[in-house]
Amino acid sequence: MNESLITLTLAAAVAAGTPLALAAIGEIITQRAGILNLGVEGMMLLGAVTTFLTANATGSPWVGMVAGATSAALLAATHAFVSISLRANQIVSGLALVIFGIGLSTFLGRPIEGVPLDPTARLPGATVPGLKDIPVLGPVLFSQDVVVYATWVLAAATALYLFRTRPGLSVRAVGESISTADAMGIRVAAIRYAHTIVGGMLAGGAGAYLILALLPSWSQAATTNGRGFIAIALVVFASWRPWRALVGAYVFGLALRANFALQAAGVTTISAEFLAMAPYLLTILLLIALSMSDTRRRAGAPEALGLPYAREER
Amino acid sequence: MYPLAPAAAVLLALMVGAFFLVVAGHDPITVYRVMMRSSFGSTPAVINTLVSATPLILTGLAALVCFRVRLWNIGAEGQLYVGAILASGVALWFGDRLGAPIAITVTIFAGALGGTLFVALPALARSWLGTNEIITTLLLNFVALLLMNWLIFGSRSYWRDPVGTFPQGKRIPSAAEFPRLGDTRLHLGLLVALVAVLLVWLMLTRTRFGFHMRVFGDSEKAARYVGISARRMILMAFLISGALAGVAGAIDVGGLSRRLDPNSLAIGLGYAGIIVAALSRLNPGGVVLVAILIGGVRNAGTALQALPERVPMEIAVMLEGAILIFALSSEVFIRYRIRWPWSAHRAITGSPFAAIPTGGDRA
Amino acid sequence: MTSLTDGGAVEPPALEVRGIVKRFPGTLANDDVALTVRSGQVCAILGENGAGKSTLASILSGLYQPDRGEIFRRGNPVTLRSPREALGLGIGMVHQHFRLVNRFTVAENVALGDPSQPFFMSTPKVHRSIAAIGDFYDLPIEPSAVVADLSVGEQQRVEIVKTLYRGADVLILDEPTSVLTPQETESLFATIRKMTAEGKAVIFISHKLREVREISDVVTVMRSARVVGTVPPITAVEELARLMVGRDVDMSVRRRRAPGGDRVLELSGIHVDRQSRRGGLTGVSLEVTAGEIVGVAGVAGNGQRQLAEVAAGLLLPSEGRVIVGGSDITGRGPRAARTAGLAYVPEDRRSTGLAPSLTIAENLQLTSPHRPILNRRHWHSHARSLMDEYDIRAPGPNSVTSDLSGGNIQKVLLARELSTNPLAIVSASPTQGLDVGAIASVRKLLFEHCARGSGVLLITEDLEEIMELSDRVVVLYEGRIVHEGPTSETDVTEVGLAMAGAMRVS
Repeated sequence: MNESLITLTLAAAVAAGTPLALAAIGEIITQRAGILNLGVEGMMLLGAVTTFLTANATGSPWVGMVAGATSAALLAATHAFVSISLRANQIVSGLALVIFGIGLSTFLGRPIEGVPLDPTARLPGATVPGLKDIPVLGPVLFSQDVVVYATWVLAAATALYLFRTRPGLSVRAVGESISTADAMGIRVAAIRYAHTIVGGMLAGGAGAYLILALLPSWSQAATTNGRGFIAIALVVFASWRPWRALVGAYVFGLALRANFALQAAGVTTISAEFLAMAPYLLTILLLIALSMSDTRRRAGAPEALGLPYAREER
Repeated sequence: MYPLAPAAAVLLALMVGAFFLVVAGHDPITVYRVMMRSSFGSTPAVINTLVSATPLILTGLAALVCFRVRLWNIGAEGQLYVGAILASGVALWFGDRLGAPIAITVTIFAGALGGTLFVALPALARSWLGTNEIITTLLLNFVALLLMNWLIFGSRSYWRDPVGTFPQGKRIPSAAEFPRLGDTRLHLGLLVALVAVLLVWLMLTRTRFGFHMRVFGDSEKAARYVGISARRMILMAFLISGALAGVAGAIDVGGLSRRLDPNSLAIGLGYAGIIVAALSRLNPGGVVLVAILIGGVRNAGTALQALPERVPMEIAVMLEGAILIFALSSEVFIRYRIRWPWSAHRAITGSPFAAIPTGGDRA
Repeated sequence: MTSLTDGGAVEPPALEVRGIVKRFPGTLANDDVALTVRSGQVCAILGENGAGKSTLASILSGLYQPDRGEIFRRGNPVTLRSPREALGLGIGMVHQHFRLVNRFTVAENVALGDPSQPFFMSTPKVHRSIAAIGDFYDLPIEPSAVVADLSVGEQQRVEIVKTLYRGADVLILDEPTSVLTPQETESLFATIRKMTAEGKAVIFISHKLREVREISDVVTVMRSARVVGTVPPITAVEELARLMVGRDVDMSVRRRRAPGGDRVLELSGIHVDRQSRRGGLTGVSLEVTAGEIVGVAGVAGNGQRQLAEVAAGLLLPSEGRVIVGGSDITGRGPRAARTAGLAYVPEDRRSTGLAPSLTIAENLQLTSPHRPILNRRHWHSHARSLMDEYDIRAPGPNSVTSDLSGGNIQKVLLARELSTNPLAIVSASPTQGLDVGAIASVRKLLFEHCARGSGVLLITEDLEEIMELSDRVVVLYEGRIVHEGPTSETDVTEVGLAMAGAMRVS
């Protein structure tokens, strides 16, 4: 492998990792408030198809992205209602979201299966002046697009918000011990709703980015491919911390892109299917390895994660 | 209240479906009429619905067994593929050398074994290390799908038909083919599925293991107190669940496709099993009824595709998701109902999906 | 409004409620409850478990909404729709089960939900406030400590500091002494007196007569969801007890001990490694003989649970042996312990001792040895006879256990554990949360089995219970036995000091 191939692969890994990072940070925000939303895959898919339809209709990637984020936020709001107000099981509700999201996005996407995105609706590249000329780092990190840079800002802002601000403290309290937060006068249901919906918006944004920057055309079968679930695993690996999720996302971006790099480098002994398995197997093995180091795993998970709450329940 | 709630869930889901049908420019009344007709409107329709329901009964049971002990095996999909891979492999290998009853039995057991083997890794990780089973089982679905695709589309494997330009699985020997009812597509698999229902029901109600499962599912602390090994319980539930999903794969091979056919297998049967289990409120008997309902919805999806206006069949998947969301929501009403003072006797299973915390962090 | 309050007060009461009714599915928790709380006073609410005290407290702190009734704050009618609104009106509550985020620091817990905090938190300011409150009210606490690492007494201090920090001048303390040593209780009382001297009103909820008489200015007694009287604290103990229970109570349960039996339970040199910062055992040895009750006292989290679980075969000690009736059951699991003659009545009766959504009949069979194929034929009749024998009140053997009252749930558990005539009974907080009637029957059952030759290891934080029931007292502190002796020769103060770690006798 020559140097330019490595640089190209790393740049592609950053791009491929960006939707994972967006979805994972969104899920961190949701889970920090104690809501487990397993429906990331469904929200990403719905976000992707909505973005595609809107972007192609308006010719604007930004309108498309807003539409995608909004549609996913609506799905997240459904999950919020079912799990917060109706106090139903969050695992089943999240899975229902996945199934519904897959069904709806395929249904809506059937007429446009294989249709390419209008070139004007593609996300434009944006280099960072000055920084883009740094060797290796320049092309890998600073010759991407606005969303990639926005993801860094998002990671920083989320970390700052969760660990340094008054509302962030409340969010974490809701995720750790919701009855305590309630007794301290925090509007627990409102916080859970808001953060579930924001998490959904980011998952929708992740789907939008897939369509606007990474994939040439709409195809349900190839759009998310389990990325939503990898994003959930990333939350665990990242111990519910935004920065770690960002770095982890790029590592997985590399795993997703490794097959292309190997093909480009002329490695053909491993078939495409097995290379495609790599990110999933990597996730599984990392999860198992992580659970072997028990204390670290427990250090992160919000204690009230997945638990419904009713003030007057005795 | 209980029979009303799923009915209301279906009705509300149909309304959501109608909304999106209108958005997509279809007439919901026509679509639903066609759906009804093609799933329950005639004897052939009902038979097709039962054919669609057969694997769903098994994947529904697979989900049920794990959900009963609050384990979230979301990997029935992949366990089904691997069950089908092993079943077809064994059928291809032994089929001609054995008599029909033995070949069929061996095929079914191979399917069970395949599902069991494929669930073993997440099961062991969960029972020994406490690794969150939701993500591991789920991601293995993608691995299994890729494996199956590689066997048929990506390689010249033992499973692939060596002749013909179009890549497809090798046909299994006739000895391993399940008998069918007359010239319909209804096959032995339905009987297998019903026997599985009976066995699971007996296990849950009549055996010590089933009693311990209920204790464990109700309170892990009580199970520990009694001396029930959590590791063993988790492992057993997973393995039984995987076996049931694997059998669902085997009956597709033996009864329907008669080869390893990714197009027939990869239609979300495992995921739908979750819906079936949830709507049955974890009752083996209920699984049969719900599987027929969902089977009907899926069966209708195919018919819709054939309409002149070509309504995408995925409306069926969307409806399934919506039904699950509404069924889950209706749980809350059932829960309140049982808390009212005049209903002193509560259903013994209680409300399995209400207020269950996540499964990940129990070691 | 003032004209309606009782006799001649110039200032309207800090808090007053009238006609409060609160109904839960199946129970009436508050029935026409009235209460007046004045600034600078301690108003005690005395009542048995289940009398409706905590429900009233939850209504006053905005957690529960009353079905009917009025609440007045300094004479003005108010509605308390949430804890947020209650806190806004200066009403703060210290819950019996602390409302603290274990992973947060003290400062984070205190600042949580404080609307006056700037968007970006200012930690030093919070630290200074905590120090100031701590100095003034004698509630020393390290602001940067993580709550999970604090002792129960310290956690309670955080709870009180929290409500004071939020500017509460009506403080509701729900059973605050149940987790404290006698000395800690004394210092809590000193703090309460400082608060009332500052003009704050304190609502002190308890079922302990002596404490109520010591600290309060006025006592409101509740029984079966109603207020049955408001009396001065000088009222005689017997009179208070009669009001609380509704009938004459014999406060002196005593029993003659059958001396010198065989050893039925023997723990020797038990070590259990600590997990996190509390809860291990270091070299614990003790024995229980037939007919004897050995009480294990200690503040929560000093290894009591580990001790019980080691004895019951649930927890494998890293060192030491467990012998039940002569057979060594170390490391052989709970079933072996049971076979050897051990009964274990865990503290968490609802979901450890029993599977809550199973029926009574099923729970009574929980620990029986079963064959792989169940034979359920006799379960029903077996349950019927045990329900008669142990006076379990329920619609029938197929009633779901969690639907029963606390006392009946405990009787189901005792029926199963005691009907096998065990040699040794390990019983953790057997009367906690029960009403007087149920407490009496639980104690009677333990006495009966003692008389028949069982030995009892009684593990509880309720020091009074230990002093009343046991023949010998053992005190656990940080996983060690720091005091041991016959109850008749033991003084409560001594035990209290030992519980606090001030004594190192062995």
